[in-house]
Amino acid sequence: MIDDKRMKEDRFERRPSEVSLTEASLLEVKNLKTYFPISSGLFSKVKGYVKAVDDVSFSIQRGTTMGLVGESGCGKTTIGKTILRLTEITSGSVTFDGIDIHALDRRALRALRPRIQIIFQDPYSSLSPRMPVGEIIGEAVREKRLVAPEKFDDYITGIMKDCGLQEYHKDRYPHEFSGGQRQRICIARALALNPEFIVCDEPVSALDVSIQAQIINLLKALQAKYGLTYLFISHDLSVVEHISDTVGVMYLGNLVEYADKASIFDNPLHPYTMALFSAIPVPDPDVKTNRIILEGSIPSPANPPEGCKFHTRCSYCMEICKLEVPQMQTIGAGHQVACHLYKDGRRIG
Amino acid sequence: MMDREESIQIKDRPHKNLHEDKPPEEHVSRSSALSDEQRLKVLSPGMLVIKRFLRNRLAIIGLIIIAFMFVFSFIGGLVSPYDESQVFKYIGTMSKEYASVTYNEEYRYVMADGRDYNAAAHAKFILARNTGKTTFTHQDTEYVIVEEGDAFYRIVSSQPIADITSFRGIVAINALDGEALTESLRASATEAILSGATQFTSEGVLYTVTQNGREYVLGRTGDAAIESKNILEPAVAGTTIGYSFAYEAEKAVRAENVSSFTVDGQTFEIEEEENLSVIYAVTDGGKTPYAIFSRMAIQPISQDVFLSLAFKKQLIESVAAGEAGFVQADQAGAEIEYSLSRLNNVYTVKSDTLTHLISIHEQPSWTHWLGTDKHGMDVMTRLMYGGRISLTIGFIVVLLESAIGVILGGLAGYFGKWVDMLIMRIVDVFNCIPFLPLLIILGSIMDTLEIDPQLRIYYLMFILGIMSWPGIARMVRGQILSLREQEFMIAAEATGLSVGRRIFKHLVPNVVPQLIVFATMGLGSVILYESTLSFLGLGVKFPLASWGNIISGVTTAYEMTNFWFVWIPAGMLILLTVLGFNFVGDGLRDAFDPKMKR
Amino acid sequence: MEQKKGLIQKWFGRKNGRGSAKSVNYMSAKEIRQISRENRRITDEFERVRNRENVPESEYTAVMKDPGNILEIEDLNTWFFTDIGTVKAVDGVTFSVPRGKTVGVVGESGCGKSVTALSIMQLVQRPQGQVVKGELRFATDDLTIDLVRIPTEKMQKIRGNEISMIFQEPMTSLNPVFKVGMQIDEVIALHNEGMKSEEVKARTIEMIKLVGIANAEGVYDMYPHELSGGMRQRAMIAMALACTPKLIIADEPTTALDVTIQAQIMDLLRQLKERINSSIMLITHDLGVIAEMADYVVVMYAGRIVEQGTAAEVFHHPSHPYTVGLMASRPSRIRSAEQLYSIPGSVPNPIDMPNYCYFRDRCNRAFEACNGDYPPTFSISGTHSAACYHYSAVSEVGK
Repeated sequence: MIDDKRMKEDRFERRPSEVSLTEASLLEVKNLKTYFPISSGLFSKVKGYVKAVDDVSFSIQRGTTMGLVGESGCGKTTIGKTILRLTEITSGSVTFDGIDIHALDRRALRALRPRIQIIFQDPYSSLSPRMPVGEIIGEAVREKRLVAPEKFDDYITGIMKDCGLQEYHKDRYPHEFSGGQRQRICIARALALNPEFIVCDEPVSALDVSIQAQIINLLKALQAKYGLTYLFISHDLSVVEHISDTVGVMYLGNLVEYADKASIFDNPLHPYTMALFSAIPVPDPDVKTNRIILEGSIPSPANPPEGCKFHTRCSYCMEICKLEVPQMQTIGAGHQVACHLYKDGRRIG
Repeated sequence: MMDREESIQIKDRPHKNLHEDKPPEEHVSRSSALSDEQRLKVLSPGMLVIKRFLRNRLAIIGLIIIAFMFVFSFIGGLVSPYDESQVFKYIGTMSKEYASVTYNEEYRYVMADGRDYNAAAHAKFILARNTGKTTFTHQDTEYVIVEEGDAFYRIVSSQPIADITSFRGIVAINALDGEALTESLRASATEAILSGATQFTSEGVLYTVTQNGREYVLGRTGDAAIESKNILEPAVAGTTIGYSFAYEAEKAVRAENVSSFTVDGQTFEIEEEENLSVIYAVTDGGKTPYAIFSRMAIQPISQDVFLSLAFKKQLIESVAAGEAGFVQADQAGAEIEYSLSRLNNVYTVKSDTLTHLISIHEQPSWTHWLGTDKHGMDVMTRLMYGGRISLTIGFIVVLLESAIGVILGGLAGYFGKWVDMLIMRIVDVFNCIPFLPLLIILGSIMDTLEIDPQLRIYYLMFILGIMSWPGIARMVRGQILSLREQEFMIAAEATGLSVGRRIFKHLVPNVVPQLIVFATMGLGSVILYESTLSFLGLGVKFPLASWGNIISGVTTAYEMTNFWFVWIPAGMLILLTVLGFNFVGDGLRDAFDPKMKR
Repeated sequence: MEQKKGLIQKWFGRKNGRGSAKSVNYMSAKEIRQISRENRRITDEFERVRNRENVPESEYTAVMKDPGNILEIEDLNTWFFTDIGTVKAVDGVTFSVPRGKTVGVVGESGCGKSVTALSIMQLVQRPQGQVVKGELRFATDDLTIDLVRIPTEKMQKIRGNEISMIFQEPMTSLNPVFKVGMQIDEVIALHNEGMKSEEVKARTIEMIKLVGIANAEGVYDMYPHELSGGMRQRAMIAMALACTPKLIIADEPTTALDVTIQAQIMDLLRQLKERINSSIMLITHDLGVIAEMADYVVVMYAGRIVEQGTAAEVFHHPSHPYTVGLMASRPSRIRSAEQLYSIPGSVPNPIDMPNYCYFRDRCNRAFEACNGDYPPTFSISGTHSAACYHYSAVSEVGK
């Protein structure tokens, strides 16, 4: 009880709106489309659109981690940025805790910002090189007066300890830290605002293997401690498998498959998911996987193929795939897939 | 209701005791011998930059040069005993023309009292003498040339005193009004008419007879002037020489063995020398110099100088001896050295006179370390003040251009879209303006308007600032465009920081290094530009000093080779300052460059 | 007032004991100048030896210890003489690449695996970087050469012809202003003097086809930016294979690529190796890639080899605690655990390393012996060895 009281003082007061009305899902993304105009010429005439995210829907439950996998250029980073409204939406909606993020005015958005945070891939460019670490972590906390000034130092120290940083690191500058420590600083910066939801945009891709494990463990520990909800974006399937509760697979701006971890890894339904999973090299020389080698490379998102976007590389390609965009359908218990191979909850052909 | 839910929710969430909980990761940064913070030095980025900068020898040299320039210009000006435009003068001896001497080869005349024998008459005399005539007419008056000696003529004119009618030997003399003719005169006149003579002398007076048909006019002659090549001058100032004295003196000097003569009861004595005779007035007590008689024309250059007898004597002696100079005491008794030079027949006497002189192009000395310029101002002091102006202009212009550049470049970079488009087109336009011709025109307009030099400096700063901001704006825009895409800027946005804080705490500190480097490099070029303009006479104007216009004071090859101390130091200062700023700029760039990071 | 005090503290760096740490680590300008002067002296000496003319052939010929090897690296030391000290990027590395086999070099960033490759190619950034000691014996058709001592102009013939390299980032390795075909042409023409230009082009197109690009003629006329990442890497491989080298050094060839493309490239490399029968030295940090590709595995840590052996040995019986930790820290479906095993701390900075096991401070199996000198390499089996005192009982090789 004392702890509760103290927490209330140390951290900021919660607004009533934060009390979740739909306890089940903290974040809901509905028919999200983010297009980037391709303009050319002197008068910026729009020639076309890069459909970075094209009609994606999913929801994340409080306290869980959703993994988002896909190859480069599939739009997973854009989803992350669109959820934070760092990128404007083209259509659809992002609802966080009952609030439509893209309908907020600027003031309301700024007030909401601390509740959703982001961690980037590159720990080198994501820290301002001319600010000491303590300032990087505490800057927004101070500006938003999330904690009382007299408790500020202790608060920041506490956050830093939580992230495996020492108090004396406060006065140091980012360039003095290794990649792993920088990523800890990024996590501390996000954590200091007492967020409920963190978008982790490839947080371990730039790190060495032994450091990756440290960061993954840290993220999991923090989730357990603070009840955080993660959207974990990565191209590294093993990491996603380790950390996620649910996994979405993206291909060229579309979510092609979405299910909980166990069912998607044990029983991938979409041909792309299958190929992707089989492509993971297994660190065991004796295991010879039955690898599905995809031909060709990802088409340009500015000029995606008609119909199912994957049909150009799909070994199960049918006539219908070239003509019709497959819709998300649920197979079994909450296992969603967008593929013409499945109809009425079972595989055809 | 809400409260209850909230408390439930908080209870549900894990405890967040930050102080008692063990951190999830214990193993970071143990003080092991292998952890990098134990073996590697860590500094803040600013300190790192300073450290790297201080290790750069060239940059330190540049810094020392700049520091020296500042001390030289701003403190030097205070220490220097002279003012910026203090003109140095000295009381110096100057070899001035004092007098001239020529052998007189021309006739000079002395006019008799009450006669109007003027220069025109003199010219007619010369004409008549050259054609061998004995008479000439000037203004209805007939003059008769009476030769008294070699190149010594008395000019005589006659006045009618009677009409004479001669008829078959009968001579009738009718005296004109107011004239009384003596019998002897009448007899002489009759005799002359009968004999047909035109001149006769009666009682020592020369008379003329002029025939006019049967009528004759008897004229009595009187001296009009004497024409001589000798010059008679008063020996003492204030004396005027009368006609009778001149005539007598001339005659006496010419005559052999005559050593004295008397005029109007005054006895004069002649002391004859080869080229110069001195005539003394003899009085009871002795004799005083009265006049000088010579064939030489001695004239002072200045009209208010009276040449003393002794001087003249000495001068003529020296001329005769062909000496190059002589020493003569002046009235105060001080010995003055005179030099004598000859051009054709004219000897010029020069004396070293004391005058107030401007010390122009004085060679370096202990009083003027770098000499003086063509205006007689101390070059060293002017360099100090010039440095002040050059550096001040440099800094203010760079501040101005940085301010404009950062604001416009920042706006363009941060807001992008049409703001960026507009500002960048303005930059393009500015880059198209040919600034040197424009400055030349503006310079001449300011010349015409006779703008105060002090005010002109402000205009100059303004113009230079206006013309050089586009470079900085472009640089700042580029920096901001690239920084805006950096993930730390996106992270700052994600944390919900205000726009102002994002700009001033995140963006600006990262643009500043580039800006400092750019501005430092810019300082050098602004100083160079200012010097160029001042050199061309468009920038800082005399009497204000600037390094550029100090150099422009020396223009010809002669001046350049002889008065090196005027332009070489100024040139060196410009060179060193620009070099210094460039060294420092390079050093800063290297220090800021993340590639240097180890 | 309080603020001011804080400021003063900050200024003098005394806060939280940071000041003392700082003073210990402070390096004066004088010290640094001294170091750089010393470095200059050393590197100048190396450069002088390197830049001699008419080096007799006997100086750079060597004898292979095992004729079955294409490359033997013995006690290779590549050091970088930097202003803050000597970085021993590669510190006594010994291993060999057998003919027709793939040797995988695995390690984290900064462990010296790329520098080893660059040393073989004589591409270490000179003059700071120098191969200080050791031999790199490479068997060409007629004689065995020591790549450390071979003069640069002779090395030019070997580079590309005998040994070629595939880099991590295909975009920066290809010149963006030349067409892909022309760049491959250039390599072929350079190493096959007197070849007609049509022949060169034919060979280039053949090579492009070989790396699995269907539209070979089209790609021949394309610029690098027109190709996707995977295609670029294929073009790079085509360029590397253009002169049928005996040894291909692949430095993280798939790291920049997506998983599906990585699978393609790995598949391609495997096929090609069989077809052209050359050896591959594969450098990567990805244990999965190594496991799939390599016959022999070399694990490097902080400039030294900590373990080497056949792929089966290293993956099934990892011996060095670092290798064990590295494998355990990868999330795997086989070991589904709530918490991943993680090696504590971070990779040490390779300047002025102390003389004890570099992994000691991060090791969970450290014991008294570890406080001694850096452990020598202990042989576990005929091909398997590890530099760890835990195996001192087994047997000692080398030192």
